[in-house]
Amino acid sequence: MGFDIKRFQGDVDEELICPICSGVLEDPMQAPACEHAFCRACITEWISRQPTCPVDRQAVTVGQLRAVPRILRNLLSRLCTSCDNVPHGCTAILKLDSLANHLAECEYNPKRPMPCEAGCGLVIPKDELAEHNCVRELRALIATQQGKLTDYQQELAEQRLVINEHKRELALLKEFMRAMRVSNPAMRALADQMEREEVVRWAGSLARARVTRWGGMISTPDDVLQMMIKRSLSESGCPLHIIDDLMENCHERRWPPGLSSLETRQNNRRLYEKYVCKRVPGKQAVLVLQCDNTHVDEHMMVEPGLVMIFAHGIE
Amino acid sequence: MANIAAKRVKREIKEVMKSEEIMGGAFKLELINNSWTELQGEITGPPDTPYESGKFLLEIKVPETYPFNPPKIRFITKIWHPNVSSVTGAICLDILKDQWAAALTLRTVLLSIQALLSEAEPDDPQDAVVARQYKEYPSIFAMTATHWTNVYAEGKKAIVDYNRRVQVLLEMGVEEHQARVALSTHNWNLEVATEELFS
Ligand SMILES: [Zn+2]
Ligand SMILES: [Zn+2]
Ligand SMILES: [Zn+2]
Ligand SMILES: [Zn+2]
Repeated sequence: MGFDIKRFQGDVDEELICPICSGVLEDPMQAPACEHAFCRACITEWISRQPTCPVDRQAVTVGQLRAVPRILRNLLSRLCTSCDNVPHGCTAILKLDSLANHLAECEYNPKRPMPCEAGCGLVIPKDELAEHNCVRELRALIATQQGKLTDYQQELAEQRLVINEHKRELALLKEFMRAMRVSNPAMRALADQMEREEVVRWAGSLARARVTRWGGMISTPDDVLQMMIKRSLSESGCPLHIIDDLMENCHERRWPPGLSSLETRQNNRRLYEKYVCKRVPGKQAVLVLQCDNTHVDEHMMVEPGLVMIFAHGIE
Repeated sequence: MANIAAKRVKREIKEVMKSEEIMGGAFKLELINNSWTELQGEITGPPDTPYESGKFLLEIKVPETYPFNPPKIRFITKIWHPNVSSVTGAICLDILKDQWAAALTLRTVLLSIQALLSEAEPDDPQDAVVARQYKEYPSIFAMTATHWTNVYAEGKKAIVDYNRRVQVLLEMGVEEHQARVALSTHNWNLEVATEELFS
């Protein structure tokens, strides 16, 4: 809708007046044939009710509206107007085309965003500054944040439920596939691949570990120690189909030829540094998984990997 | 009231005040309240018509959506015209309905209503009784319209015969306007009007 004509200095040419709102044209558009000009907002509103020119009723659609000629735009931009904030004390007189820039910065604008100087750091409209109370505002802020936090927590809980549901379904599905693969070779290949990928995914989720003292290796761990390691593996998400095999491989009796006795171990000591080791969370133990160590010699590796337990020296 | 409507009405009133029509006494326009939603207009009956020298008051209601929707206008002064209801004063005029255009103003609307008094459109009637009389008994219509103008709109020309017939019914105890409507409706046939009133 157009600018109030009373804001302008001197007389305004009748051609610059919108016939709909009777204000000075704002963002003008013209009808294609008759060239009658209107504010964009005014003519759009009118056409939404009736697709005609409001002056002579020729058919017009919004799509047919055109920009007004440059000469008309120039006449408009040269008009001198007062600022919107006259009621708040602004006495500036501006060319119409610089009004928008002035309004963005006008210091009399009661809604101009101002930073609070009292220390809360919030940015608030100028006219609300006098009423502004840092504590109250921050409390309100905390309240809304807390509300959001509660919402997020609830959402998280719901997501967890969904994930558990999915896990259960997945386990069921795996069970199903295990049953199927006995009879179906294609299914067997697929299931093998899924299992391999599961191991790789799990391996990727574990942190790298560095062994500083290979000499601390316990080659014959007792049952209690083995149980502890197994629990930790299980909690880290170790795929069920390898966990028992892995745990078997924590004792020298199942280790590969290169590791199976104190003597061979001493001979191959320099090869240890080639191992990519993964941390067994919370324990002085590492996993040397086959999928991480395809570069290692055969006599130093077994399927699906090794578990090495240490007295100390794991980083 | 919506900003745009109030601004338009303010400007239009100013425009009317400056216009020649006010100077020449063809019509008047004034505010009823300060919210710019209700105005009262007055148009003078055009010369050489049955409405000559009559002063007709109009009720003008400006909707919030003005000028995207037309003003609602009706005659307050009773008038005998095919396009105006003799009962409610409602006006049948295309620009007050589907031919409204946002660039039309109260001034142009009042001028159109005045033009309607000069040239009725009996094929698009608001009052069927009046329209039929207009077509079938043009001279009776003209005298009836003149009579109503004289009685209700301070028109200068009196129809003495019609006044006399109304007087007859008045003496029979009939209310004046009721008597006039009955007589006007029945082409001033006293017998038929009496029969209708007392049946
Ligand atoms: Zn046009
Ligand atoms: Zn406009
Ligand atoms: Zn300013
Ligand atoms: Zn503050």
